[in-house]
Amino acid sequence: MKRAWQITCFVFIGFSIFWMLVSFQYPYHDRLGPGPGFFPFWLSLVTGALSLALLIQTTRSMSTTEGSAILPPDRPAMIRVAVNLIALVIGMAVFEPLGFRLTLLLFLLFLPFGLGIRKWWAIVIFAVAGSFGVFHVFYYWLKVPLPIGLLGI
Amino acid sequence: METVQYWIQGFSVATMPMNLMFAFIGCVLGTLIGVLPGLGPAAGTAILIPITFNLDPIGGIIMLASIYYGAMYGGTITSVLVNVPGEAASVITCLDGYQMARQGRAGPALGVAAIGSFIGGTFATVALMVVSLPLASFALRFGPPEIFALLLVGLSLVTGLSGRSLLAALIMTLFGLMLAMMGMDPVRGAPRYTFGIPPLYDGVGFIPVVMGLFGVGEILLSMEAPVIDIIKTKFTDLFPNRKEWRVSAGAIGRGTFIGFFLGLIPGIGAVIPTFVAYVVEKKVSKHPEKFGTGVIEGVASPETANNAYANASMIPLLTLGIPGSPTLAVLMGAFIIHGLTPGPFLFKERPDVVWGLIASLYLGNVILLILNLPLVGVWAKLLEIRYEFLYPGILLFCILGAYSLNQSVFDIGVMVTFGVLGYLFRKLDWPLAPTVLALILGPMMERALRTSLEMSGGDLGIFLHRPISAVLLIIAVIVLASPAVRMLGKKAGKDDG
Repeated sequence: MKRAWQITCFVFIGFSIFWMLVSFQYPYHDRLGPGPGFFPFWLSLVTGALSLALLIQTTRSMSTTEGSAILPPDRPAMIRVAVNLIALVIGMAVFEPLGFRLTLLLFLLFLPFGLGIRKWWAIVIFAVAGSFGVFHVFYYWLKVPLPIGLLGI
Repeated sequence: METVQYWIQGFSVATMPMNLMFAFIGCVLGTLIGVLPGLGPAAGTAILIPITFNLDPIGGIIMLASIYYGAMYGGTITSVLVNVPGEAASVITCLDGYQMARQGRAGPALGVAAIGSFIGGTFATVALMVVSLPLASFALRFGPPEIFALLLVGLSLVTGLSGRSLLAALIMTLFGLMLAMMGMDPVRGAPRYTFGIPPLYDGVGFIPVVMGLFGVGEILLSMEAPVIDIIKTKFTDLFPNRKEWRVSAGAIGRGTFIGFFLGLIPGIGAVIPTFVAYVVEKKVSKHPEKFGTGVIEGVASPETANNAYANASMIPLLTLGIPGSPTLAVLMGAFIIHGLTPGPFLFKERPDVVWGLIASLYLGNVILLILNLPLVGVWAKLLEIRYEFLYPGILLFCILGAYSLNQSVFDIGVMVTFGVLGYLFRKLDWPLAPTVLALILGPMMERALRTSLEMSGGDLGIFLHRPISAVLLIIAVIVLASPAVRMLGKKAGKDDG
């Protein structure tokens, strides 16, 4: 856990430096007063300083065993987390080309199966209700605009 | 007299059949969100915003507010039956509620929680009706320096009360403020930190960020140990016996006052009132050693405080425009989506919305009581849904909610990115609430700061020369420097929402 906190502090220090460098592109001051670069500059400076302070504090005081581990506790847990993330990323990539119904149909077929369900009829009912059913309710009844894919579905 | 007229106007709006229906639907959905593990009130409310897109603003806001306090009650059910709080404010209820369920008294535990929630919520709503107009009138005197100082107090409270490390909480607050810099500069209107990406011209979407941090992040974390053990019980007797009533009455009274007064403080979050109520109850009890073994006061007081807080926390949101928790920040976002800005001006410009909402809180408490006591068994059944279906179902609504805000896949990307961040920060035990509040308050804060400095010609002394802003700044410093506040924050442990 100590290592994870240290890495996070380093990430925030890097992020603050980047944010500060970008802030230089905007005027710090203009004829009316503080410009668009004023607030981001000070925010970056203070964030960097606090991250450094926390890094020092963590390095000096936190024990290496304190708190829980940053990674999932076991391999099955790691797989479950990964399956969800992969499904989300792929779903996002094909969301507009395939449209809401097809994307969600595949998403809801894949995820329960990936998580260990083997009752095909249950997965299919769930996926059809979650994709075509939800689309019908939101698109036609609630008038929420949702994408229709290249296949017209 | 003017206030009474507004009350009448509010009730006439809230009792319109459509608005009553929206309040009812909101209470059902809210309880559902509270019951389902892996979906807290902040993400749940955010996900359901698209449902309100085509409603008129009053109906939409009434429904979302009902979802908010419905979720506050729903969380109790999982605390009692599975020892897993449906939302953070119900953590403390696990201690005695779950023990009561193990002894076969889940019914009285849930019954006293429903009745206490009704009493606490109703008291807070009546008080909200009384104090909101004078407070909003007072807030109309605030200029940019006072607004900046007030926002600083709100953020200081959220930061000071969050998690185990003040430094980590401060960094998370500043991270939220930095993200808020993306998009149009709130004073000059020029693009900033957009990196040539057109969707970023509107800034980082607040709602996708909340869905990611509190929805996707929570699901990923829940995936690590998804199986829950439900206590099977028959809900034949929901009402406590006479002896239990005697001890619960005092606990409900104390919980009401604690929840209400802590709800007035912007930024305190929903967790602390329940912890304070529990600790106070233990202190005044003749048998403190029995707390944690299934005493009914240990459920009655925090659950009452929880709902009294939920309704009282509407006061800073409606009168000052300061959300006290991530869920209220989502509600504020929903106001903005519907073209309304919470704060003192809303009382002048749209009294129908404000008073209609306040009256609906009162009616919502009645609906929740009617809905929850007879339906406890039905809600408990929902806990038996397998996680392999439940979590993909929640993710489906996260995707739908994120996309439909702007019909943009970019927003789904924002949600997934912040989902991963939310998962990692939870693992690190870094607080998320400060980031969310800073993200929504950031543009207002920057505008107030820069306008103040323009007024003073760059002199920072403007914040100290004006009495209200000076007092508020001193409060902010005390909050951040106070070990007592930090100790409370450590006790509360996790974020609201």
